[in-house]
Amino acid sequence: MTHPGIASPEQSRTGSMPRESADPSPSGSTVLSVRSAVYSYGSELALEGANVSLGRGEILAITGPSGSGKSTLMLVAAGVLKPTAGQVTYNDRIISNENERQRSRLRRSDFGILFQFGQLVPELTAVENVALPLLLSGVKRAKARAAATAWLDRFDVADLATSRPPEMSGGQSQRVAAARALVTEPTVLFADEPTGALDTVSGELVMSEIVRVAREAGTSIMLITHSAKVAAYGDREIVVRDGRTTESMIDLEATGTNA
Amino acid sequence: MSSPSLATSLRLAIAGSRSDRMRIALTAIGAFATTVLFCLAASVAFIGEASGPYRFDVLNQPGLRPGVIISMLALTIPTLVFVGQCSRFGAPSRDRRLARLRMAGAQPSEVARIVALETGLASLLGSLAGAGTFFIAKRQFSTEHVATITTQTELGGGGIQIDEVTTTVRLLPTDVTFTAWSIVLLVAVVPLLATMFSSIALRKVIVSPFGVARTQPTAPPTVLPAVLFGAGTLALVGWSTISEALDLHRRALPIVVIVSFCFFIMIVAGLITGGGSIAAAAGHFIAPRTDRPSLLIAGRRLISAPYTSARATTSVLLAVFIGSAVQATREAFLVGTDPTDTFYADTFDLLNVVLIAAIVLSAASLLVTTTEAVVERRRNLAALTAAGTPRSTLARSLLAETLIPLVPSVLLAATAGVLSARGLFGTRVETWDPSTGRSTWLDVHVPLVETATLAVGAIIVCAVVSSVSFGALQRSVDVSELRTAA
Ligand SMILES: Nc1ncnc2c1ncn2[C@@H]1O[C@H](COP(=O)(O)OP(=O)(O)O)[C@@H](O)[C@H]1O
Ligand SMILES: [Mg+2]
Repeated sequence: MTHPGIASPEQSRTGSMPRESADPSPSGSTVLSVRSAVYSYGSELALEGANVSLGRGEILAITGPSGSGKSTLMLVAAGVLKPTAGQVTYNDRIISNENERQRSRLRRSDFGILFQFGQLVPELTAVENVALPLLLSGVKRAKARAAATAWLDRFDVADLATSRPPEMSGGQSQRVAAARALVTEPTVLFADEPTGALDTVSGELVMSEIVRVAREAGTSIMLITHSAKVAAYGDREIVVRDGRTTESMIDLEATGTNA
Repeated sequence: MSSPSLATSLRLAIAGSRSDRMRIALTAIGAFATTVLFCLAASVAFIGEASGPYRFDVLNQPGLRPGVIISMLALTIPTLVFVGQCSRFGAPSRDRRLARLRMAGAQPSEVARIVALETGLASLLGSLAGAGTFFIAKRQFSTEHVATITTQTELGGGGIQIDEVTTTVRLLPTDVTFTAWSIVLLVAVVPLLATMFSSIALRKVIVSPFGVARTQPTAPPTVLPAVLFGAGTLALVGWSTISEALDLHRRALPIVVIVSFCFFIMIVAGLITGGGSIAAAAGHFIAPRTDRPSLLIAGRRLISAPYTSARATTSVLLAVFIGSAVQATREAFLVGTDPTDTFYADTFDLLNVVLIAAIVLSAASLLVTTTEAVVERRRNLAALTAAGTPRSTLARSLLAETLIPLVPSVLLAATAGVLSARGLFGTRVETWDPSTGRSTWLDVHVPLVETATLAVGAIIVCAVVSSVSFGALQRSVDVSELRTAA
């Protein structure tokens, strides 16, 4: 199935996004890595040594019980929160050492972020919401709108272009939000329970579309979820417990053979 | 669920978040300020034959006291607006809490009672404190001291005799006595008004068992405010010409006063009702044209809630309108008077102080509105920030939302104020020149500098307030809003 609009976002790229053609790291494909990250909200320790590495084009599921620190791990990895200790590296940049202005610019240009709900500006139309990140990076109105329309089309919600978020269903808003997170063609998409507020059927539909579109664009996804069904979309899974990470498959084998 | 007892209602009224406590505190502060102003106005009203004299001569002239009282009462308009704004601060989340109560079976009247109780008690506390402070201060400042004052005595044939008298004076009318019923009235008036307002405001919000549905805002009217404003201004501009032609001044002075006051009210009504239309029109103009995200968001927000920002700046507009009229009136009065006689100049200076106070008070209610706008959408702002939207963009958007409708409205208000005062008092004044023994016509200057200072000052005050509220809330725009219950 082809979408007539697919080419358009490609054409409207700002060209300001730095993207290396080859990864210099020895593993050859790591885009983002979190090492021994610690984070505390005041006295509340939410992360106590988390390790994650995300490959180029990889979909990494991060699961774990509620309150285990998944969201905090994602916000640290995305450079929204600065870790109390440990290191976050994106390509060659140690972003955990950068200031908020630099990290904000990076999030705008290279990352996409998708939350459970409440991220669309309620007063803006769907197409304006999707165009917003492009306008922020200096793209002109007409071009930004054309690209936004094409991205709405990719998520099959082009007919909602002039609707406002309060008029949309949960599934429709998440499609629009996904289009907005991907419109700048980010290297990494961070998604925190993207279908958590949706019913099973529309949740699965939206999830599979996000995965399809991300695969087409070669975008890596850090997918936070507490649902095994959603986690199954991942190439690999990491479990967070009490602020610590365990690579589920490897850990199972390791403990299984050594015990 | 049985009808909640008074104690339960009370607990529900004040049980709540930080913004609930903030609303209660702000309501009390507003009630405090308003009650102090009412007490000041009342003390001027109670000046009798045996009182005085006072340092400020306006207080010694029975003919000028009504003007002083009216200025004081005019000052209570912005403070009352402030109380009204405060009683809605953080109200959306309270309304949601009340909706849950409805879901649990509470009757609409019980919900209304909780809200009325909250506002009533908060403002009663403020009022009591205000009246208490006033009477303590009245005691403290009631000492007499010796000073030289000018007195004016009206002579027979229209002349005025001016004397310098050295006597013991009081600074302010601290020697008047308040009757018991007047004290009760002064303490009760603000809580009563505030409770009425919050009950009316709640009625606009349908607190149904299924949640809160705000009644849809109707598109702001454009024709009516434009007609009111335009007709009122034109009528006053042509007023002196018309009334001279018909010789109204000599024939029916009360009618002249009443009719011209009606035109003033028309202009004010036009400004108030037109604020929403200006906001919506500006939004419609900007949103589809701009390349800037901050202006896009501001424009769209103006379209979807045109009255929100207009309401916040109404009292600023009124102050600018009245202020510009005062500046033009001042020119008309001063042009023909002896420059060494500072009576009029002093009186107008006092008025200007009152106006500046009014603008500052109005800005306080703007602070509440802009703060609330940020608090209400903190989750969305946090998500935008996480996605890399610079905070400066969000701050600029908030600033634009305040200034875009404010700037044209302030310009209109200032222009209308100057034009109508000039129309009312004429652009030329006839004076008698003793050196030539003939009467001459003097042009009344257009108070350009004064009016521009007032208008630009008001805009700057509002801009600062809007920036402050965003800056103070930057910390609240934090990631904890992004946590999703998993
Ligand atoms: N803003 C915050 N202030 C205080 N504690 C927080 C805050 N955000 C998260 N926490 C705590 O940090 C821990 C991890 O939270 P979170 O990352 O949201 O977990 P998850 O997404 O896995 O449910 C929890 O114990 C939570 O209570
Ligand atoms: Mg979470």
